[in-house]
Amino acid sequence: MNEFDDNEIAMLLRLKRHEQPPPGYFENFLHEFHRRQRDELLRQPLWRICLERARDFVFRLNVSSLTSYPAAVAAVLICAAVISLKIYQGPETTVAVQSQPALSATANAEGQWTLSSPVATRVFSTQPLRNLSESAQTHSRGRGTPPRYVLDSVPVSYEATFKF
Amino acid sequence: MDKPRSDEDQQLVARTQSGDPGAFDQLVVKYTPRLYGLVYNMTSNHEDTNDLLQDVFSKAYKAIRGFRGKSSFYTWVHSIAVNMTLNFLKKRGRRFQLSLDDVDASIQNDKEFLELTATSSPVREADLSELQRRLNEAMMKLSDEHRAVVTMFHIQGMPHAEISKILRVSEGTVRSRLFYANRQLQNYLDEFRKNPVA
Repeated sequence: MNEFDDNEIAMLLRLKRHEQPPPGYFENFLHEFHRRQRDELLRQPLWRICLERARDFVFRLNVSSLTSYPAAVAAVLICAAVISLKIYQGPETTVAVQSQPALSATANAEGQWTLSSPVATRVFSTQPLRNLSESAQTHSRGRGTPPRYVLDSVPVSYEATFKF
Repeated sequence: MDKPRSDEDQQLVARTQSGDPGAFDQLVVKYTPRLYGLVYNMTSNHEDTNDLLQDVFSKAYKAIRGFRGKSSFYTWVHSIAVNMTLNFLKKRGRRFQLSLDDVDASIQNDKEFLELTATSSPVREADLSELQRRLNEAMMKLSDEHRAVVTMFHIQGMPHAEISKILRVSEGTVRSRLFYANRQLQNYLDEFRKNPVA
């Protein structure tokens, strides 16, 4: 009694192609697929649905390729603008920072301009900056605490500036 | 079974990727019978096959954005089906029941069937359902990997090169698995020859 040879086994196995699912199975498969997809979609949280819709929208528009060139141009322009601002405004800003106290001092000094150094440009008015009671309130908060001596904002020894 | 035209598939894939779900429906309709045969002959269970096939197409639909066309859609979707089925079979283990589809009546006119019944006494003497049961039992005695190769080569009629692409193994591995599986099937079916109506 001979064994099945390779050819007979191959023929037997090919007969398995005749095993078919129930009639109408393939016709209904697509409907079943859609139904399962809908069920799966309904089980997902709302944020994930929105995220997927947004991703689909972006993917459909191919936004990345559309925006790449304008984005690159915009980036170059912004870089150029920042660099040019640094170059042209760099020295001015340092001068402005240095002269800022002088400008503020002159503005406070009743519109009068002086030729003195920036430190002494302020024109002193006859009014004291603080009266004694205010100073006492400020510097002696509690009776238990030792007194603190704070130098006034304007040294007394400063001479008054010349007025024109 | 002839391999479908890949340029037609490429167009359908491109349309699906650009947001046309109807194009994917066409791919589903086109590949369902072929993938059904693949999964069914690996699981020998109709209900498992149906569930797996739904999952295969669902996974393919979700992943199709990332499909860059390095392989054909045919190879790609078959890879998904084989990998998912192998994973399923590992989880299922040996606890399963055969749930076989009916043999189509057209088998009576099949040239190979007529030849087999004329030459092979066990096939001639056994009725169709018995023959089917024996064949499926023999198939299920193979390991999952060997059964996958036998299914793709003998039942689906795929060439070795295509199977190697789908399984991502060398053609030599495919051939050696086939050789080993054929020897095993011979042993299992030898029992059928000795005792055809047991």
